[in-house]
Amino acid sequence: MAIASTFLGGAKGRLLAASIPFRFFGTALLFHALAWATLLWAAPALPDFRGGLGPLLAAVHLLTLGVLVMTAIGASLQLLPVATRQAVAPGRWPYDAVWGLFSAGVLALTGGMALVMPALLLAGALLLALALLGYLVLLARNLHGAKGMGVVVVHGWAAALSLLVLLGSGLSLAGAYAGVSGLPRPGALGLHVTSAAYGFMGLLVMGFGYILVPMFALADNPSPRWSRLSVGLALAALGLALLSALARLPAASLGVGIGLGALALAIHVALMLQALRTGMRRNLGASFVLVRIGWAALLASLAVALARESGALPVLGASLFGLLLLGGLLTLLLGVLSRIVPFLASMHAAAGARRAPTPSSLTAQRPLDIHFYCHLAAMSGLLLAVLVQSAWLVRASALVGLAGAVAFGVFFVIAWRRMAQVASAPALPSGAKA
Amino acid sequence: MTAVTAARSPGEHWTEPDGVHIEVRGLAPPAPFVMILKLVDTLGGATPVVVHHDRDPVPLYAELAQRGWLAQRIEGEPGEFRLRLNRSA
Repeated sequence: MAIASTFLGGAKGRLLAASIPFRFFGTALLFHALAWATLLWAAPALPDFRGGLGPLLAAVHLLTLGVLVMTAIGASLQLLPVATRQAVAPGRWPYDAVWGLFSAGVLALTGGMALVMPALLLAGALLLALALLGYLVLLARNLHGAKGMGVVVVHGWAAALSLLVLLGSGLSLAGAYAGVSGLPRPGALGLHVTSAAYGFMGLLVMGFGYILVPMFALADNPSPRWSRLSVGLALAALGLALLSALARLPAASLGVGIGLGALALAIHVALMLQALRTGMRRNLGASFVLVRIGWAALLASLAVALARESGALPVLGASLFGLLLLGGLLTLLLGVLSRIVPFLASMHAAAGARRAPTPSSLTAQRPLDIHFYCHLAAMSGLLLAVLVQSAWLVRASALVGLAGAVAFGVFFVIAWRRMAQVASAPALPSGAKA
Repeated sequence: MTAVTAARSPGEHWTEPDGVHIEVRGLAPPAPFVMILKLVDTLGGATPVVVHHDRDPVPLYAELAQRGWLAQRIEGEPGEFRLRLNRSA
């Protein structure tokens, strides 16, 4: 019995209560549906978006903050302690506080953007700042206590620094709408987009890729030398892009930064593809089709950024760039999430359950299939809508995307319910697990 | 009574009367996870596997269950997390 207690204690020490990461994921999926619904409203503005308050900016932030960052917070708070061999922070109130403040902040910020209410927008930005500072403390604690996983930890620290830049530039932009002076808008916008998409999200996605992709593919760890080269180039690229945004470097340095970023991502993707090619599990299903499309779209976003920088895409550039960047991140994240949700659910259900359920037994495949086709149709439709400047095509795509988001939500709810059923079964009397 | 094993290099596996042993201490994730599953897949099921780990391999159990294997913690060296894996009946 002593062994059984130790066993479960060891397992639980690195696992948050299941409701913590799943609450972040569930809320992200609600914002996912809300983002598509808001895009339906904002459709006429998409093909030639040039910024400014309104429903399209709200839809963008429902996606970036509500879906991408919300998921990244939930995943990183759970996966880092498991990967880096350390106990999670005791007590659940810090996680609840981050989730509550962040959710309220997203609603207030995007509400302020959609309804053109700068005071509400600023209040949302302040709530988000509090939430993200709390998250940074939890993230820094996990990174500081990490044992091994050097490349992942470097990605994590760089993502944390990017989050600080994202916060500062975001508050400056939000303040400007409310009449509070801050950084000049073009510089703040450059810092904001770079630190948010490529800095925080990009680095977290790359860092976790080094754990998750070999784990799902049952492949050897990627080459540390090439991984270090990739993250080194990514950091150099980010540095150049951020300094260029502050006008501290000659104009041409942004192009160099984008080129280095593309090289860093290309090396990372090549390492991931090698893991997928050489792993024991070759068929990773539709989830990794989404992941591959996400990688391709992110690389394409850097190619478009480079083309814009050289003046080759003056008309469609901004919308096309934004679509490839955000669509790429979303596609990649949903692909990974469709794997992580049943995987985490099986880990949680295994702690004390009679038998560890398999991830596949917790997966409702039909809703995932519906989401797969809806998501790809919606993203392709949006791409076409931007190219042919059609608001109706944006509306149709948003409707299809919304249907996909609902299907993904159904998959999530079913996984949660199946996990809860298994976890409520009587525990094993000894240390046996399977 | 604690079973003590001779020093082995990370990733090494060897045969003893109680089954095939694998040493994964000191390996960065997900290498232990991948190596254990590769070994399990290679053996097919008749031979028990003894895993010498430095932590509770939380993500492993569902993958083992998927393959019809059962894990049980057994006594090991101080600081070790030792598991015996058997094909479930």
